[in-house]
Parts: sequence; C-alpha cells; structure tokens
Amino acid sequence: MATRSIETKTQDSLDERNAESVIADAFERFGPEQIAISFSGAEDVVLIDIATKIRPDVQVFSLDTGRLHPETYRFIERIRDHYDIRIDLLMPDAQDVQDLVSRKGLFSFYRDGHQECCSIRKIKPLRRHLSGLDAWVTGQRRDQSVTRVDVPLEQDDAAFSTIDHRVVKFNPLAGWTSEDVWAYIRGNDVPYNPLHDAGFMSIGCEPCTRPVGPHEHERNGRWWWEEAAGKECGLHAQNVRAVKFVGHNGH
Amino acid sequence: MADRSITFVKKILATGEPCGKCRDVEDRLTAGGHWPAIDRVVVADERDPDSEGMRLAVELGVERAPFFVVQTGTKTVIYTVFLKFVKEVLDAANDTDKAQLLLAENPGLDLI
Repeated sequence: MATRSIETKTQDSLDERNAESVIADAFERFGPEQIAISFSGAEDVVLIDIATKIRPDVQVFSLDTGRLHPETYRFIERIRDHYDIRIDLLMPDAQDVQDLVSRKGLFSFYRDGHQECCSIRKIKPLRRHLSGLDAWVTGQRRDQSVTRVDVPLEQDDAAFSTIDHRVVKFNPLAGWTSEDVWAYIRGNDVPYNPLHDAGFMSIGCEPCTRPVGPHEHERNGRWWWEEAAGKECGLHAQNVRAVKFVGHNGH
Repeated sequence: MADRSITFVKKILATGEPCGKCRDVEDRLTAGGHWPAIDRVVVADERDPDSEGMRLAVELGVERAPFFVVQTGTKTVIYTVFLKFVKEVLDAANDTDKAQLLLAENPGLDLI
C-alpha cells in the first residue's frame, strides 16, 4: 500500500477507493497495449510511481506542446530514467502550429484566449493518441479547478469516445487534495518538478503558467489574464436594465 | 436555405473599440469565407442602451457578445459559442474547430 492517507480513503468511503486499487483494477481490465497514463510533467508523477509498482512497463505519454518550461522537459527525462519507462511525447501537427503562428503570432492566447492554441497543441494530439487506446489514466483532482469538482474515479470519456470506439478514463487521484499528493511525494521520495519549489502549483506551458501565492488557488496560476478579457464580452447588466426600463416606460 | 436568416451581433466597448472576442470572430468569419452566410450585422454599443444589439440582447436574454441569431421560419436559435455556430449552422467546422469546440464543451481538458 502506498501511503496511509490512501488507505484511510478506502476505509472511509467506497467512492474514494485508494488510487492503487483504481489503477490495479484498470490494469486488470485493460492490457498493456490498451491503456496509458497521461503525465503532465507536474505532480501527477504520483500516478507513475504507483502504476510502475503494478505494471513496470506501463505506457506513459506527455503532451509536448512545444511551449513547456525547460525544467519540465528536463523533469520528463529524469522520470524516464528514474522509472526506466518509455514516455511517448505527443507533438502537435507542424502545419497546424505554423498556420496559427503565421496568422496570429507566438502569443495570440494573450489576446484571443488560450483555447485555439490549446486545441492545436493539446487536444488534437490527444485525440489522435486516444484513438489508438481503450482507456487512459489522468491525474485530475476535484480540488484543482471549478471545472473539475465532479471528476469521478472512472468515467466513460464522452469527449473522446466515438460511436465505434469507447474510451474509458480513470482518475485515481480524483478525491485527493493537493496536500495528499505532496504527502505522497515526500513520503515516498518521488522526484518532482523543481518549478514547484519556485511557487508553481499548476504547471503547464511556460507562457500560460505562473507561480501563485500561499493562499491562492492553483487555477490562478493559469490563464490569469482571461478573467478581465471575459468581462469585456459581457453585455453590461446596468445597460441591459436601462433598456428594460426604457422599454416598459417609454414605449 | 431559403427561409433562414442569420444575424451577427457584435459589441462596441465604451471606448468605441470593438470587443476583442468580436474582432476575433470577425477575423474567423473572414478567414473561413463565411461572410456571405451572414444576412445582417447588428451592433450592441455599450455607450448606447438603445442600440439595436443591446435591445436584441435584452429581448433574447443574451448576456455576452458576440452572438448569432439564426431564424428559420418561426424558430429562433441563439449561438453564443462561435464554433458551435460554425459546426451546426454553417456545417463548416474543420478539425481544429472541432477540437476547440470539444474544449469548449469540456473545459477541464485544457489542464491536461
């Protein structure tokens, strides 16, 4: 068993089975060629530590967007050596990137939002890779973001399944907190990305990630400029109310 | 489609500048050659609550711009996600558009 905190979760709730059991169950149901771990180069290294104890030759892939921090590239190589595993680096389509950069420059996400860039550098390569797998394992946790509060331990992956091809997604760390992750890393001498020591809680692409303060949520370290941009698109309530007022009384 | 009408509503900020997202959508309409499908362009001007776009937003309960109003016969459908509009109305989404729509519909994916 990996850590005491994981065991406690098992005893407390069936829904919070320990991560080791979730991964072991996934490996029993999906053979080595059918399932892979997604590794972002951050604290989801915990998944690799747990999984390699069960299946030493586990498939691992990382999305190499071309814009990762140098520290992350070095960390990926360190993990490759430390666990003696193969890590497939998934790269975006060169023509897609060239088209985007030619049209909009290298930093279009600061102006137009990160979605187009992420779609090219992450989503398309991920979709391509998952088309050849039946299941994948992620380090998604419910405490990471408001977009993840409902992450289950296991789910049919509606985003990447097709009519002909079902994809299952396992999220063994769904019920873990950031504190659980770091307790595991420290308790098991797991290598970690040195950017965490520089204040990074969430580590993604270099231009889109920044350190956060001690009491800030980790999501604040990503795409921080977009909140203001989003407000710009609002049809301001005071104006809308003003129109309603005119509508009721003036006409 | 003969009885279909598409209205594009874009926003002008209090500064008189178009909002960034509206500008991006206009660029995409141009790049995709989609302008011929747009029947009307309406402005929601922050400086003028009586501008047609602001009135339309109130009438339709829309709180963000840009948006598209697709009128087919007596049926009105509002699209606030540009790529959904491109895919469902113009039937012109390419692989990157579809990936971006996938991200829009699954917001946590960008943290992978």
